Amino acid sequence: MESRIIKPALGLYVALFVLFLYGPFVVLTIISFQQGPDGGPQFPIVEWSTYWYRQVFGLTPPSRIAPLPFGEALIRSLVLALMTMVVSTVLGVMSAQAFRRSFKGSAFVFYLIVLGMMVPGVLTGLGTSLLANNIIGIERHWYTTAFATHVAYTFPFAFLVMLAILNRFDASVEEAAWSLGVDPWTTFRKVTFPLIFPGVLSAMLFAFTLSLDEFPRTLFASGRDQTLPLAIYGTFSVEIHPNIFAFGVLTTLFSFALLSVYGILMGLSVRRAKKMAMQEDIA
Amino acid sequence: MTSTVTIQERQSKVTRWLLIPGIVWMSLFLVVPIAMIVYVSFWTQTTFNISSDPTLASWKQFFSSDTYTGSLWTTIRIWLIVLATTFIVGYPTALFVGLFVKSKTLSTVLLVVCVIPFWTSFLIRVLAWRPMLGKEGAINIVLLKIGIIQQPIEVLLFTELSVIIGMTQIYCVFMVGPIAFMLSRIDRNIIEAARDLGAGFGRIFWKIIFPLSLPGVVVGAIFVSVMVLGEFATSGALSGRKVNLLGNIIVTQVGSLKWAMASVVGVVLTIVMGIVIAGFLRIVDLKREL
Repeated sequence: MESRIIKPALGLYVALFVLFLYGPFVVLTIISFQQGPDGGPQFPIVEWSTYWYRQVFGLTPPSRIAPLPFGEALIRSLVLALMTMVVSTVLGVMSAQAFRRSFKGSAFVFYLIVLGMMVPGVLTGLGTSLLANNIIGIERHWYTTAFATHVAYTFPFAFLVMLAILNRFDASVEEAAWSLGVDPWTTFRKVTFPLIFPGVLSAMLFAFTLSLDEFPRTLFASGRDQTLPLAIYGTFSVEIHPNIFAFGVLTTLFSFALLSVYGILMGLSVRRAKKMAMQEDIA
Repeated sequence: MTSTVTIQERQSKVTRWLLIPGIVWMSLFLVVPIAMIVYVSFWTQTTFNISSDPTLASWKQFFSSDTYTGSLWTTIRIWLIVLATTFIVGYPTALFVGLFVKSKTLSTVLLVVCVIPFWTSFLIRVLAWRPMLGKEGAINIVLLKIGIIQQPIEVLLFTELSVIIGMTQIYCVFMVGPIAFMLSRIDRNIIEAARDLGAGFGRIFWKIIFPLSLPGVVVGAIFVSVMVLGEFATSGALSGRKVNLLGNIIVTQVGSLKWAMASVVGVVLTIVMGIVIAGFLRIVDLKREL
């Protein structure tokens, strides 16, 4: 009876909540179509145009407003995200695999790994820079020091995802392989890995996207050459133009493309698993 | 018998080799850097240089300056407010998604809808609040058009309020997720039984639903706390440098190569964080609940 009032009220509330979540994005999308190059990052829209999108790609005649310095930063960020993805997924799979067996000090190791996602990025970034500058005496780069902090951040996510997957894992298939005399490494490659592949994909997606957008860790640890988030941060201190919003819309579309690829790969691997299960049934 | 022992030995050897890379990485690039911050906070800082001679000078400077202690209190205040707003804004949503929506598909769809904004770069999400909150921003335009206000509200941008609004929107999803997860695990029979015994919704909520959702609240609060306490970008971009959190102080100090003071602030931040997380873990024993 009360739920007849409460449920619709809550439903309405959730609609408002979604509006709150999407408000800024809607506004930034609208403003990205502002007239250029004189139109500013505010309302009202003087005239709708794709000027700022063309400006991002360098297709507009030169004007007072400099194009965003994103080209090389984008490539650096993509390479860094790929490196981070590979290393933290490998580390995550290895550690989670080790956790399937109880061992002494497992609680300690667990907290050591999870600490990586708990410690604020600004602290890991600061500490790593201090270490590089004052103790080891090396220069900071996005592919060395910043890479190290990125993995220390994304590895825990990969580890937790793999832990969740391996918790639900039926070990009898592995035991069957072992009892047939297959060595552990081949068993892992041929039996375990295909079964945990959806988890591996999720871990990779996590690590890639977290690294691509990682900012506080990179700020101190990356040295001279900027990554993409640092280049965006650089625009904070100067006057904002709608080109940054056009760029935001484009990167969001890129993220969706990435998510679709993930979805397709996930769907394929689930279908393959089903197919294999069916073949087993027939056999 | 002997063969089982060797198998066990071999397996524990495998376990060790599987663990070593992760442990080494986290020790070198997480534990050692934090220890380094503590160590450097006692170094001697001169205008152009820093040396490892131990001194308490930076610590004394931190606690004798209103700028630094003030930023500590600002950080704690903003953290408490954002914790409250994310909870107040997030809980009803979590309640709807986790408890009231019967269809599994619909609740998944709603959660995905909540997560989608995270596919825009964090910094651009922060910047997007500027055309929202400004004097000629979207909110003012809409409120003027509807006729709720006659004059544009000016306190929306470049104030503490703008930082709170921005952070609430950016972080409230981290509150919604864990709470919705805990709520979806509640056995519906308990609620039915309470209803059969004549309990009203308010009573059921306070006696059953809320206590059972508490572990989710704690997990959400830990997420939000970790992120808000270490923040500096949102406060920098939306307050016009009026709100200085500990993170902002670290950034400015590093910017002027005052590594020792940055380290002191870093240690203070670490201590605050430790106390906050330990406090939350005392309220709810997560290991038992999850």
